[in-house]
Amino acid sequence: MAQVAGSPELTPRQGSRNLPGWTSTERPDHSEEVLKALETYKKKDPLKIVVRFKGVGNAPIMKQNMYKITAANRFQAVIQFLRKELGWQNGEPLFLYINSTFSPAPDDTVLNLYKSFATEGFLIVNYSTTPAWG
Amino acid sequence: MSTYNSSSRHHSTQPPASRIEKDKNVDYNTSLFRRLTWEGTVPLEIRVDPKELPANSDRGLECYFIQAPRISYLPLIVPEIRRFLMDVVFDEVAAKSLKDEEWWFESEEGTLLKWHWPLGLLYDNHTISMSLRSPSPSSNTMATPMRLILHLAAPPQDKLFLSPSIESCKQAFMNQLKEADFIRWGNTRRMTALRKVDQDGLWEGIREHSFDDFWRVASKLAPNAGPPTSASPPSSSMSRPLSNDPPSQDKDSAYSMRSVPVRMYLPDGPVIQEVAPPMLEDGTPHTLGTLFSTHLPLLFPPRPPAPPPSRINPHPQPPPAPQLAYALIQGVVSPPEAELAWLGACMAGADGWLNICVAISRE
Repeated sequence: MAQVAGSPELTPRQGSRNLPGWTSTERPDHSEEVLKALETYKKKDPLKIVVRFKGVGNAPIMKQNMYKITAANRFQAVIQFLRKELGWQNGEPLFLYINSTFSPAPDDTVLNLYKSFATEGFLIVNYSTTPAWG
Repeated sequence: MSTYNSSSRHHSTQPPASRIEKDKNVDYNTSLFRRLTWEGTVPLEIRVDPKELPANSDRGLECYFIQAPRISYLPLIVPEIRRFLMDVVFDEVAAKSLKDEEWWFESEEGTLLKWHWPLGLLYDNHTISMSLRSPSPSSNTMATPMRLILHLAAPPQDKLFLSPSIESCKQAFMNQLKEADFIRWGNTRRMTALRKVDQDGLWEGIREHSFDDFWRVASKLAPNAGPPTSASPPSSSMSRPLSNDPPSQDKDSAYSMRSVPVRMYLPDGPVIQEVAPPMLEDGTPHTLGTLFSTHLPLLFPPRPPAPPPSRINPHPQPPPAPQLAYALIQGVVSPPEAELAWLGACMAGADGWLNICVAISRE
């Protein structure tokens, strides 16, 4: 988000509908400014981060276990990606964990998880065919 | 209170303060605010999508009102809604073909309602979306029921993420608790040290809406809300009642946590999770205002600089910062000087997360 925050057109009070500063006793209409701000925060971060998969227990081992993924993706995309890589059929159980501790909500973003739980620059995702850290 | 409720789940109408037990480890104010958060409810108006009502349904009665606990979840109120619909609305024969696992909810505006979000969060998230659209001040809409559409078939699984079962809701809840535990202390030792019966007791506390059962266990996970260990400016305590207890120097203090589990929700927009330490580098408590100006500066712009001094006005004051947005926590408008550590200890949901909904200001 840092790169868009500095966009010059988003500087407060530059909206074309705002009155000049000397009439500041009247409350300016902020709606345009607010909508622009919300649009900015809605923009998907193109940043990519590295996910490192680690099998647990009987789970099959991946030859290649580091993948770059767009940070704006939901964790659901990581789950689907891993199932595809392992050739898992629908209904076959697969459990994913962060840092060998918890399963994140599938609608949380990879970016949010990375910001809070990255280890040495990776997001470590453990996978197991049975519940491992229930 | 719900009118069609044979269980005793939502029965407590007595003033919250009267039932707070004397617990040596938890000061009075912490208990009080935890109790207020626990007893918070949201009004919901639920109607079956008229296009999906089975044949011979009683159309005059298809609407169901419920005052539901903020810390509860949609799968936990479905049985009550189901009982009402089966008894009063649906034709007995037609009802037999309905499957609970195909039910799902939408807001009136067409937003999918997630099974694993607390009801209070669904409600507040709806309120802030409306704050963007509604031309009237949001205070008018605060007490009105949120209108939910109940669909009886074809759930969009890929967008709901979880099955509607109570068991999968419980799993999601336990994992949120663990994630919060990790954020607070850097590990999940507090969670994993709980016996299985205690872990299950947390969820039972929510199902049965029992504050005492829940907090008997949860107090082993949650931080104490005692004042910060280092001296803070006296003004920083203005936003909350002062505790007379001695400052807690212990490692369980909210002010010595690694970080506060916090998520910010924007209208129609992203959910932003940031690392939010309880204390700033300069030794002062981290506040809502600082969190916003750091991570949402476009909605919480800094105060503009003072105009240059003139002969008429030799000491000009800077104009006030524009009020574009404000914070809703558990439905309460929260001041920028509120401290994150205190909010996290007293106003977090049962899953340990401090959910901050950002609403748009109206004149």
